[in-house]
Parts: sequence; structure tokens; C-alpha cells
Amino acid sequence: MAKIEPITGRYVWVPYEGEEYRIFFEEAGEGIPMVCLHTAGTDSREWRHQLCDAAINKNFRVIALDIPRHGKSIPPYDWYKEEEEYKLTAKFYSGILMAFCDALELDKPVIMGSSMGGNICLHLAKNYSEKVRSLIAIEACEYSPGWHLDWLRHSHIHGGETSATSVFGLMAPQSPDKYRWETWWYYAQGGPGVFKGDLYFYSKDHDFREETEKLPGDVPIYYMTGVYDFACTPEMTEDTAKKTKNSECIIMEEIGHFPMSENPELFNSYLYPVLDKILAQS
Amino acid sequence: MFETNWMEKWQGAVNSNGPMSWIGKHFTADFLFGFGDTQYQVSFREGKLVSFSDEIGPETCYGLAIRGPAETWTKFCQEVPPPMYNDLWAMAHPLHGRLTLEGDQMLLWQNMRALMWALDRMREI
Repeated sequence: MAKIEPITGRYVWVPYEGEEYRIFFEEAGEGIPMVCLHTAGTDSREWRHQLCDAAINKNFRVIALDIPRHGKSIPPYDWYKEEEEYKLTAKFYSGILMAFCDALELDKPVIMGSSMGGNICLHLAKNYSEKVRSLIAIEACEYSPGWHLDWLRHSHIHGGETSATSVFGLMAPQSPDKYRWETWWYYAQGGPGVFKGDLYFYSKDHDFREETEKLPGDVPIYYMTGVYDFACTPEMTEDTAKKTKNSECIIMEEIGHFPMSENPELFNSYLYPVLDKILAQS
Repeated sequence: MFETNWMEKWQGAVNSNGPMSWIGKHFTADFLFGFGDTQYQVSFREGKLVSFSDEIGPETCYGLAIRGPAETWTKFCQEVPPPMYNDLWAMAHPLHGRLTLEGDQMLLWQNMRALMWALDRMREI
């Protein structure tokens, strides 16, 4: 008997600001739509364990996408003629996400993202709160400086190995080696300059220090951060959560910056109660 | 800790490590390691830790100095290091500054994979 996972992968063409983007997504389950956002420089494979988790996908239609230039989602056709190097912005990131949700006709999805996918949740809370049900902001805070580095796209440096190694220490030593090195592998496979370009959003364009307290609080935000995250420390998340109306802060022991892929079993044990609350509110 | 005998054990752990033979194939660089007040010039050649010396003087050459308090390195060397001490970049990132990096920063980024792998061997001593 073949061991076949419940995940289905498809492509959808998403119109956004005069372009059409061919976006790859994987999905499994039925119920409340829940869109999962990968970290900088990687792709939807980070969510494979949650996609396959029966306790999650019995109540949620779990959808993990590759944003343009990541994984199987190709860049816009004219990328090679761009006069500036790739820099992800909050405006494009949140806009393309909402366009993706519209293209799939998702009814008020839960958005769950990690790292840059967590930080974008604050922008969604500010600009698109009427279109989302709840936000699960993993390894997120209002300001995460120090990562937009030229070394990550440099002709004398191996981009894949260096990007992957630079994030390896963000994972907890208690996380299983097989999953930590699988996460390393994903990072080693990013397109040239994509990790660096994403980090423009993560460390530069995302600066909510004057915005967090102004969020209206009309959509619940669940912050979840691992104690081994040295890019977004528990203290940074707690500080942001204190300023966020209608939020909850969960600090996860023995886990780091990539909870869903570095230690899925432990992360899911923290995630289930959050999903139960979202179910109860729906 | 971090005395000559400890350095010899680290050298042995690096040079006998199987994957280092391919991870470090192009890893040739000279560093200064500062473990508190104890400093060593450390030379890697094609992934082998070929020499180290605590005789730091006007003829000592190195590309990058990696310095931190002995207490920081001691935490890094624990079998399960505590949060923020489990990785060179974690300790040296500007947010934390538990280690300092002075000199040719590109040496770190060009050799990050092999250097990190060599540092991880400190936990085998």
C-alpha cells in the first residue's frame, strides 16, 4: 500500500496591480480556510506537517502558498530586467496575499505565518482586518532589525549554504536533527537574492513601533514565539503583544524561529489550543 | 577550560570529523579566537585545523578576530546550550553582541558553513 499524503498541490493565476502571478499552493483538510505563510527565502514545504495533521485538517482547510519568487511560484516574467534588486515590501506582500485569498474565494481566512509571515500579520491587522478571521503571528514583533545584509547576495559567497547556515542557530538544539537539517535544506534552495530581498521587509520596511498601539483590535492576534529565537526574542514579542489590543502571547519552550518545521510535534501541541479558540469563536 | 589541552582536543575533534572532509574542502583561513583573556591564533587549511598558538605578537596574522567572555564560550560549549548561546551568529548578532567580530567580515560569511561545523565540535570535548 503506497504511503500517500493528503496534500494536493495546484497553481492559481492571481491578478495584482497589472501583473498576473502564477502562484503554487498546497492544501489539505476541510472547514475554516487557514492560509499559512512561509518564512523569508523559503517556501510552503515548511508547513508539510501541519498540512498532514488530522487534528488540524479535520476542522480547517489548510492552505500553504509560495509567494512569488519562492518555491514553485515563478517571478514576474520581466524580473531579469528590473533596475533595482528584489526587495519585498509590506505593501506588495499584504496585497498579493489578499489577492490570492480573493482568487480562491476564501471566506475570512485565518492567516498563520512565521517570521516575515508573522510580521506581515500586523500589517494585515491594520489594513485588511475586515477580510481575515484571526491572525496567528509566529516569531513576530513590531521591529526586527539587523538581517538585511549584502553578504546574503554576494558574488564571492555561496548564497544557498550561507543563507541556510545563518539561520540554523535560530533553531533550538532540542529540535530533532532531521527536521533542523530539512529546514536548512529549504533555505539552501532559495533563488539568488530572494532571502536578502525578503529581509528588506523583515528588517527595514516592517517597522511598527509607532503603529502597534494604534491597531484597532477588531481581529484577534495570537503571538507565538520560541525561546531560542535570537532574531525575534520572546521579550520582543511580549513587548509587542502588550501593546496589541485583543491579543494573546504564547512563549514556546525548547523551540526556535521555525516551529512548524523544526519541531512540528511540539509546535502543534502549542497550536491546537489556539485553533480550538478560533473554532469556538467561529 | 580553553587551555592548550582543550585546544588540542578541539583540534582532534575537527580533524577526525568525517563530514568536515567535504564541508571544509575549501575552508582555508586564519582566525584569532578570544576566550576571555586567553587568545589563540587558529589556522584552518582545507578544512583541517592545522595549527594554533597562544603566542600573540607583532608577527601574528589573522583575518578575523572572534572574541567573547569565557563565560559566553562556556555556555556555547554546553551539550545543550541555553537560548541565545547556541550559535556563533546568535552570539555575535548586533541585537545581542555577546561576541565581537573584528576584521575581514567576509571570511565569516564565505566560510560560515565550515566554520560553524568546526565550532560545533567544541561540544564534543
